Amino acid sequence: MSASQKLLVAGVGGQGVVFLTTLIVEAALCADLSVASSEIHGLARRGGSVVSGITIGENTYGFIERGGADFLIGLEPLEAQRSLPFLNPRTRVVIDNRRVLPYAVNAGKASYPDSRSFIEYLQKNTQQVVVIGETDVNLSPILSNIHALGTASTLDGFPIPSEHVEKAIEVVAKERYKDENLEAFRLGKAYVTR
Amino acid sequence: MPDNIIKILTSYDTPLRACVTGNEAVARGAIEASVCGVFAYPGTPSTEISEVFHDINRFQNHPDSKKAYADLSARPLYFEFSVNERIALEKGIAYSIANQRTLCCMKNVGMNVASDALMTITYQTIGAGLVIVVCDDPGCYSSSNEQDSRYWGKMASVPVFNPAAPADACEMTRDAFALSEQIKLPVIVRMTTRVDHTRGMVSYRKIASNELAPGFERRPEHINIPARTAAAHQVLVEKLEGDVVDRFLDKHSATSPNEGAGERPLLGVIASGVAAAYAREIITREADKGHKVDVLTLGLIHPFPAKIVLEFLRDGIGQVLVLEELDPIVENEVRILAQKHRLNVEILGKDYAGLSVVGEYNLDIVGEALARFTGQHAMKPQGFPAADYEKHVQELPPRPPALCAGCPHRATFYTLKLAVPREDSSVIMCGDIGCFGLGALPPLGMMDTIHHMGMSISMAQGLSEALGAGRGGRHLVALVGDGTFFHSGIPSLLNAVYTRANILVIIFDNRTIGMTGHQEHPGSAHEDKYESVELESLLRGMGVRFVETIDPFDIKSCFNTINDAIAFDGVSVVVSKSPCLFCEEFEGEARRGRRVVVDQTLCNTCHNQDDVELPCSKVVSARNGLSKARALLVAENHIPSSEQRCPANICNHGFLSSILAGDYKEALEIVRDKILFARVCGEVCHRPCEFLYRADGGVEGRTDGSGIVPIKRLKEFVSTIEENFNDFSGQKPTAASGEKRTHRVAVIGAGPAGLSAAYDLIRTGYDVTVFEKEKAAGGLLRFAIPGFRVSKEACEAEISVLRDLGVRFEFDKALGRDFALDDVADDYAAVVVAVGMGISSTLDIIDINIPVSKRYAAIEFLREFNDNTLRIEPGARILVIGGGNSAVDAARAAKRHDAKSDVIISCVETRDEMPAFEEEIESAVREGIQIIDGSDVEACVAGSGDGARVMLKSLNGQKKAWDVSCDYVITAIGQRGDRTAIGQGGLKTNTEDRIITDPAGGRTDTKNVFTAGDITAGNHVSVIGAIASGKRAAVGVRQRLEGYDLPYEGQEALDVLNSPQTPGRRPPRHSDGRLDETQVARDMPAFEIFQACAKCDHCIENFGCPALIKVKGRVRVDDFLCTRCGLCLDVCPNDAIQWAT
Repeated sequence: MSASQKLLVAGVGGQGVVFLTTLIVEAALCADLSVASSEIHGLARRGGSVVSGITIGENTYGFIERGGADFLIGLEPLEAQRSLPFLNPRTRVVIDNRRVLPYAVNAGKASYPDSRSFIEYLQKNTQQVVVIGETDVNLSPILSNIHALGTASTLDGFPIPSEHVEKAIEVVAKERYKDENLEAFRLGKAYVTR
Repeated sequence: MPDNIIKILTSYDTPLRACVTGNEAVARGAIEASVCGVFAYPGTPSTEISEVFHDINRFQNHPDSKKAYADLSARPLYFEFSVNERIALEKGIAYSIANQRTLCCMKNVGMNVASDALMTITYQTIGAGLVIVVCDDPGCYSSSNEQDSRYWGKMASVPVFNPAAPADACEMTRDAFALSEQIKLPVIVRMTTRVDHTRGMVSYRKIASNELAPGFERRPEHINIPARTAAAHQVLVEKLEGDVVDRFLDKHSATSPNEGAGERPLLGVIASGVAAAYAREIITREADKGHKVDVLTLGLIHPFPAKIVLEFLRDGIGQVLVLEELDPIVENEVRILAQKHRLNVEILGKDYAGLSVVGEYNLDIVGEALARFTGQHAMKPQGFPAADYEKHVQELPPRPPALCAGCPHRATFYTLKLAVPREDSSVIMCGDIGCFGLGALPPLGMMDTIHHMGMSISMAQGLSEALGAGRGGRHLVALVGDGTFFHSGIPSLLNAVYTRANILVIIFDNRTIGMTGHQEHPGSAHEDKYESVELESLLRGMGVRFVETIDPFDIKSCFNTINDAIAFDGVSVVVSKSPCLFCEEFEGEARRGRRVVVDQTLCNTCHNQDDVELPCSKVVSARNGLSKARALLVAENHIPSSEQRCPANICNHGFLSSILAGDYKEALEIVRDKILFARVCGEVCHRPCEFLYRADGGVEGRTDGSGIVPIKRLKEFVSTIEENFNDFSGQKPTAASGEKRTHRVAVIGAGPAGLSAAYDLIRTGYDVTVFEKEKAAGGLLRFAIPGFRVSKEACEAEISVLRDLGVRFEFDKALGRDFALDDVADDYAAVVVAVGMGISSTLDIIDINIPVSKRYAAIEFLREFNDNTLRIEPGARILVIGGGNSAVDAARAAKRHDAKSDVIISCVETRDEMPAFEEEIESAVREGIQIIDGSDVEACVAGSGDGARVMLKSLNGQKKAWDVSCDYVITAIGQRGDRTAIGQGGLKTNTEDRIITDPAGGRTDTKNVFTAGDITAGNHVSVIGAIASGKRAAVGVRQRLEGYDLPYEGQEALDVLNSPQTPGRRPPRHSDGRLDETQVARDMPAFEIFQACAKCDHCIENFGCPALIKVKGRVRVDDFLCTRCGLCLDVCPNDAIQWAT
């Protein structure tokens, strides 16, 4: 079943991991793909780490094994780094490099990892890495998830054609946010690392 | 109208492919079985099931739906969030008995609450289908245990479905209704977090038509009395053994892959729940590898499908691996079966290849077990090069969930943290389940216990009873959320009232059940279908006599209420009421437009020194910040930082903050940062820092008038804790700069001024030599101030620090006698002259009439007293002339030398105007010394024997005179400079023979000569005046030698001290005796200096709002996260957090 594709979305509670997952699932359905997803919610709103998996193909259930992700959408660099065990040399990656500091870092009890070194590691060892720079995007943080998806949709072999994502946005997003979501997605698509 | 609601309510003749979560699939399954009533209590991971029905209920009862979707809302479902799971199930049972299909939803531990109802209904009967969905939580993502709720099916004898994926969940829920209705038993659908929250493809089919009419039929089974029970048990056993159950068992088991006629493999896997999905994915993926495994998946696991399993095992399987999360329930049944039927099969399960009863399975765990079972590498290797990989996955900072920015719970916890000191364990905080349980984590850390829902109140009353709380100063506080209080706190509170417990209960009323996504509860019913219960009336009705509602964003009033409540004898309840940010009633919009900013000039800055390189022993700590913030609320005496008036610039803010935090050693170090003589100052300083010199020339305690901050006594307190005092290790050089050390500086005079200059200079890296005419260092501290006022040993110990720091001493070297100033000025880069005023002023009338052996200058007298060389005839009559401290010291010394002596002080000042310290004067009077104030010497004649008679006249306009017979006269009317020492090197002197200098740096006209102490014209004659001028001279030296360009940091206070305008009125006296630790701990909060040391990080370390972040070491506000609640403005002890203008 090499036809299956697995996407990992990693972020911080409040960044919209759950919404993005719903959106990707809807997009896959629009593209008439067999899709499943898995995430743990309950505390997502309260700023903890949130990870979800989306799998496309028969006999998959949204679960991703170690080294099993074909794509990673990292909405925050530390959370992207936390998901490294699920990546492999063929994984294609989008990372939004804007940091959200965990409390321990704020309080000086831990230090934030060296994201640059992590990204260099990915660039050396994985298929494709696109980094959304900290100062590159002038967009409300609320929309950064959709923006990152837009960028991810340009990765080689991304399993869902972007017209289906746009269609899914029409279905999933609340009426009054539709336009700005579509705009963010298109900005993400047009994004090129500066 | 929401599409998903319409979709889930629609019947499809041709199946609709949907991708939905397991929870939505359960809801759809129930709808397809034409469920009529749903009773739930929210609880992760089950909540989304009930939310579907909550939304449906709203939709179907909405007037628009009635028109636009008449078919979908024709027969509205009944839905409620019941008060707890037990009520949900009880009401659900009744609903079923009334012949309506019923669904009850709850999380794992909810089933425990509901179990009372479950355990007896099985002996009786239901009506229409009754399905209980129980959601377990392997891995404990959001639960207080990872219990295996399949046991409830076995224990209560009800069938249990165990879906592996959303598609199963839908189908099994639908079939559960059918089975339940046929055997008249409730049926459990047991889900797990992973299945609940997994989205997968589900086919929406036709919805069964609801042919059942509600009704109640009188049946004997509805009455449970012991006489019928045993027979009922038999009926129950039979219900589970019939063909009906068998048909469902058959339907919900599957063997795969179905190889047809091929040869059967020797390996079998039996899987249930999500483990079956893992196995299916892995085995399908690895199918091309050629190893063959037959898989039996079981969907209905109780009653156990013995026939099916037996058939699977009999057919040549040699080894079977059982895959199920949590407890080995299926596995044990398989083992029983094999034993009963003597099967030659090896059964593997728990403890095989890392399979555990603990935690959640996943693809990796199941893959690993299957790989070992089949002898293959089932999982693909990850393939990253090992180099650097570990580095990138190790030690990543955790990101635990936290209370939201602006959360009212944080506000309550914060005030609680201020009100209830947690340093000692006298207050025990019993927490509970819910969002607010996050208050147990740092930085709040306000809970000592958390158990299960509602336990907080029981825990508090139980501990209170056992520990005898209230009597020993121990207090028990129960913290409970509003949802939990209604769920299960009420009976416990009733018990507390009824048993006369002594506890405080704080209800965190955020107007919703927050943790699970904001559901209704009886205390905050927002929808018309529910009635809202007024909490305060309920509490009063329950007999609670102390009930107060507080707004957690009003810190001061909360603080007071909590303190009152904790002091209340009996059960007190405080309701901290403020809506969750996600509640409709939260007035977030009103707050828009404002922004919160941090004024960086007030945050983490120091009001006490311009030179950040100067030493500061203040340790930034959470405890420190908290005590400061606490004092902010309770302090009666606030002193703005701008009024800090220590001439030596001791950081009184940091000093008091440390004492407040109970860190007395740190307080001592803060004093030692600035001065060598912490103990000496504690004993003899005349404490100008304690008084405010008003512009009109008045003086008052530096407070709002209600009292004075006893800085001197506190200094004495911290420096007389011997262990701390004797540890001088904190007094270290502060500059390691080698280039400065090439400068040699000479200090002439080892009194407090010279030694203070030496202290600052050696610490900033200079090579310092001190020249002293005596044989020991200390000056007036050693020779003049009597030992009963200043501890000579302690003084010696403080001076010895200089030697350890590397200062060289040259004793027996008097300026002008043994060396010339010009020579020193040539040899050394800079010279500090601090020789003091060596000559005592005398009265001619005394000098002429009294023989040398019978008269003393006070300084000489005290010196002999201190050296123990005083020779005075016993029982002598002694007259002391003068009103300053030297006079009083000499008088008291004389009295101490010989208690029989008769000592009289005569001074020109009135009693109130005497410059001596009030405490000293009072001591003198108490010791039997007579004071003739407002008097002056008029004449002096020889008296009888060796004695003299001194005639005194009144200066108060009274015609009064005294004729004092005395054996000795001590004059204490002041000192002057010694011209032998200072009349050289071009030094300019004034009429008192003091050296004229530049007041800002102690610099003389001679290029590299500076002065310090009493010899400096215009300098205040006092210990602190001497110390401060020594420090100032050190700054002058640095300005000259290293281009240091900051002024002396204590200049302003020193100017006030030296100002002739500073009134001479004595400050109000302190009470007698040393402070002890109990007094300090009790009184300190009232003496807090407000706007103290701004170095704190208090907002992050003790408050921890996620919107307060640190960027490059500076506290900032994350504008995106900030909800503009404004609480941090009150939290900041430094007024640094402000509304943006």
